[in-house]
Amino acid sequence: MSFPEKCKDAILAGDIDLSKNLAQKAVTDNLDINAAIDAFSLAIREAGDLFEEGEFFLPELMRSAEAMKAAMTIFDPIISEGKEDRSLGRIVIGTIEGDIHDIGKTLVASMLSAEGFDVHDLGADVPISTFIDKALEVNADIICISALLTTTMVGQKRLIDTLEEKNIRDKFKVLIGGAPVSKKWTEEIGADGTAENAISAVKLARNLLGL
Amino acid sequence: MIEERVVLLDGAMGSLLMDQGLPPGTPPEMWNVSNSEKVQNVHKGYFDAGSDVVLTNTFGGSGLKLMAHKHGSSIEDYNRKAVEIARQVCPEKCYIAGDIGPSGVFLPPVGDGTIEGFEENFLEQAEILTKAGVDLFFIETMVDLKEAEAAVKAVKEVSKVPIFASISYQKTKRGYFTIMGNSVEECTISLQDLGVDAIGANCTISSEEMVDLISEIKQHTSLPIIAKPNAGKPELIKGKTVYQATPEGFAKDIKQMVKNGARIVGGCCGTRPEFIEKINQQIKE
Repeated sequence: MSFPEKCKDAILAGDIDLSKNLAQKAVTDNLDINAAIDAFSLAIREAGDLFEEGEFFLPELMRSAEAMKAAMTIFDPIISEGKEDRSLGRIVIGTIEGDIHDIGKTLVASMLSAEGFDVHDLGADVPISTFIDKALEVNADIICISALLTTTMVGQKRLIDTLEEKNIRDKFKVLIGGAPVSKKWTEEIGADGTAENAISAVKLARNLLGL
Repeated sequence: MIEERVVLLDGAMGSLLMDQGLPPGTPPEMWNVSNSEKVQNVHKGYFDAGSDVVLTNTFGGSGLKLMAHKHGSSIEDYNRKAVEIARQVCPEKCYIAGDIGPSGVFLPPVGDGTIEGFEENFLEQAEILTKAGVDLFFIETMVDLKEAEAAVKAVKEVSKVPIFASISYQKTKRGYFTIMGNSVEECTISLQDLGVDAIGANCTISSEEMVDLISEIKQHTSLPIIAKPNAGKPELIKGKTVYQATPEGFAKDIKQMVKNGARIVGGCCGTRPEFIEKINQQIKE
């Protein structure tokens, strides 16, 4: 079995130890690190495809994302040594204040992180000011804000309004998510996009940053 | 009653309380104590519309869920009062179901919950609801079969009243599954083996999407089947939450579900007393 095939098996099986070992082997054997990471990336994308097809569900996808993150912890020190920034971009993500639903948000955070974004997950029930403070602190490229209720969805608008009031709307792309969020709502409040699920969210984030 | 005719449940509670000003982030169960007349009016509206059974306003009333809202210490009051106010408006020959929803906690790898944690959580709520005198239990919107099983076991430990158990399925390219990947067959057979008295589906999908699901459940059980879909997807129009479904269209789908085998029917998110009234008319026709 080739190295990429092994990576694929490990990620699809959600095998954290095996993924780590494979990553370690790539380092020890002096394989091309970028090629090795690409092999893992292809695998996690396949996990996403399986999720969209209804073959994978939440637990399988989370496990694959965890295995991917485990492999990346082996590559990270080498990447930073080489001063080569492989991070695709910095993302601040959370569920809006007043809303404690966070399963969808957590899945999006995991998939973004597995893809190679630098993700700061603020959790659920997060005030607007916390989103903005964190985004400024880490110099975020994207703010992702989730809401599962139509009553809390208005918080997504408030975030964008606040960014505008502070004259920093241009500094960040704002993506919104949650079951009641529609394309229409996205346009109405002037957000930069929304996605049907975690897999599309990753694609959207890449597109927005021109990757 | 179930043997004689179709049993009519109620519709949504949470969305109606939000319409009346329940602030975002506040657990609806709090209003059992602080705005009990508003909750009671919702129950009354459903009984007037023809509901045989109403569900107590305790969907999020388990310890884990209330703790997430930082209302954990009020579990006893919220649940006891919920039964009390429903009972006060319950007509003769109608019933009060103790509503139990998900804990909001997930098992690994999604979250850090445990089966024992689930059981303790539901045991606490089921004990309070049993003491307060519910006529039956309604375990609903479960997206993880393991959590549903824990809830059924907990209720069985403290109560002998009937248990209705309802799972929340989504429609994937390969058919109906929970977000955790439990199939209709797996859920139906497992809950039946645990000894529940009725099995079915609620929430997540619209009435249109639930029609075929009921036929699928029917293939795996001879128990009475519950159908309690959403009123379509919510939209925010000029600051107001509007659900897509009309009472007429919804009732028509429910009628088809009854033909497909449903015996206990009602509405989930976004439905109102008008929906129950329309179902009542359609079924009687």
